[in-house]
Amino acid sequence: MSLTAQLSAYLGRLWGKPVAIEKMARIPGGASRETYRFEAVSGEDRTPLILRRDPPGSLIETDRRIEFEAIRSFHDLGIPAPNPIAIEEDGAELERPFFIMTKIDGGTAASPFTPGVYAGHEAAIAEQFFGIMGRIAGADPMVLPIGKVADTVALDQAWKRELDYWAGVIDADEQHPQPIVRAAIRKLYANPPPPARKLSVVHGDYRSGNFLHDGKGKIIAILDWEMAHLGDPLEDFGWGTDPLWNHGDASRVSGMVPRDEAIAIWEKRAVDGPRRPALVGPLRLGEGPGDLDLLGQGICRRRL
Amino acid sequence: MTPTIQQILMGVGAALSAPPPPEAAGDFNASKVGMIGMMSMLAAQEADKAVPVRVVENAAIRAVLRRAAGTTYDAEFSGRISVAVDSVDETLTISALDRANADLRRLLTELHASVENAGDRDLDHIILRLYRAMAEGRRIDLGR
Repeated sequence: MSLTAQLSAYLGRLWGKPVAIEKMARIPGGASRETYRFEAVSGEDRTPLILRRDPPGSLIETDRRIEFEAIRSFHDLGIPAPNPIAIEEDGAELERPFFIMTKIDGGTAASPFTPGVYAGHEAAIAEQFFGIMGRIAGADPMVLPIGKVADTVALDQAWKRELDYWAGVIDADEQHPQPIVRAAIRKLYANPPPPARKLSVVHGDYRSGNFLHDGKGKIIAILDWEMAHLGDPLEDFGWGTDPLWNHGDASRVSGMVPRDEAIAIWEKRAVDGPRRPALVGPLRLGEGPGDLDLLGQGICRRRL
Repeated sequence: MTPTIQQILMGVGAALSAPPPPEAAGDFNASKVGMIGMMSMLAAQEADKAVPVRVVENAAIRAVLRRAAGTTYDAEFSGRISVAVDSVDETLTISALDRANADLRRLLTELHASVENAGDRDLDHIILRLYRAMAEGRRIDLGR
């Protein structure tokens, strides 16, 4: 049975009425799961939806329930995010675990490697990008749906849990020895950051390129919640301001505004959350001329 | 992970040899082809310099190990360092150089951890400068 037929059968059962599936197309992004857009047609109703289905194998293992509940949490708080519709962890008619959410139309996601993608709208995009990041940081995770399913962590252990996890991923996936990465991992273990100021939802991949914008200065959806977890909110700030995502402009984080302005926006919105963040500087191995600067700006999930 | 040129080219071939299913023929396929193009371009850069980069890096690691050989470590570790210092890259295929490079890098990692524990700042700086040179040598650019 084709995926279209499987979806038709599933939604027909879920909604209790015949559902036709049209315009089914796989789309790139959110690479830990297969992502499809389609329209569910029932009578006069036509609903644009997104399907996220587990692949047979994935480079990064993530929990679909946590992703689903993270989206639900912040959609319900008014942050631009899809509306989650249904989740089936046993796969149901689609044979592999999946969830369905609404499709948000009218925007594009910028490539973080293309310069000038926010030209003329940098300040407006930054206000929303770092403002939403601050709202996520400031929310109380324990009253949100994600707080019911994601593991909590002690404030002084948030950094270690992430470092242990990613060091383990490198142990498992490394094909060729990487002495620089190993030195960085040792450096981080030997120089832990201060305890998190609060426990927050961490988006986990909050960066330029992982949101839709309308080309006129408005962010219309925050995407790619698959790495969401509870932890130190500075993870998101560190990752989102990593020079890797600056669109080739070293003077502006995420290709938007200078770093201090980004911090100010973030602090303003992180209500009841951390204030002036205890950001560590760029990770540096050694102190002498010619020693190695690594690019990490803080403790973040993917850069060690 | 750090795929080899051979693995990248085999992946490119596999990705292009099978037609996509109808639902993956639009944006997804366009994105996939773009990624294949980028990977091919990076692989081409790597292929051009793969042998000299590995020869130079292996020699540089052996030079650092040679300097460390006079430092006091346990006999077993010192013995492995001596063997590595005396090794020679006789076969100049990428796969043979990578095997030697992997052994040298593992030894370098072990050495660096020992150097850090011992507080040997001079050797630490030498290793860090080696890392910088290794990173520069291995650099490939999206914009080329």
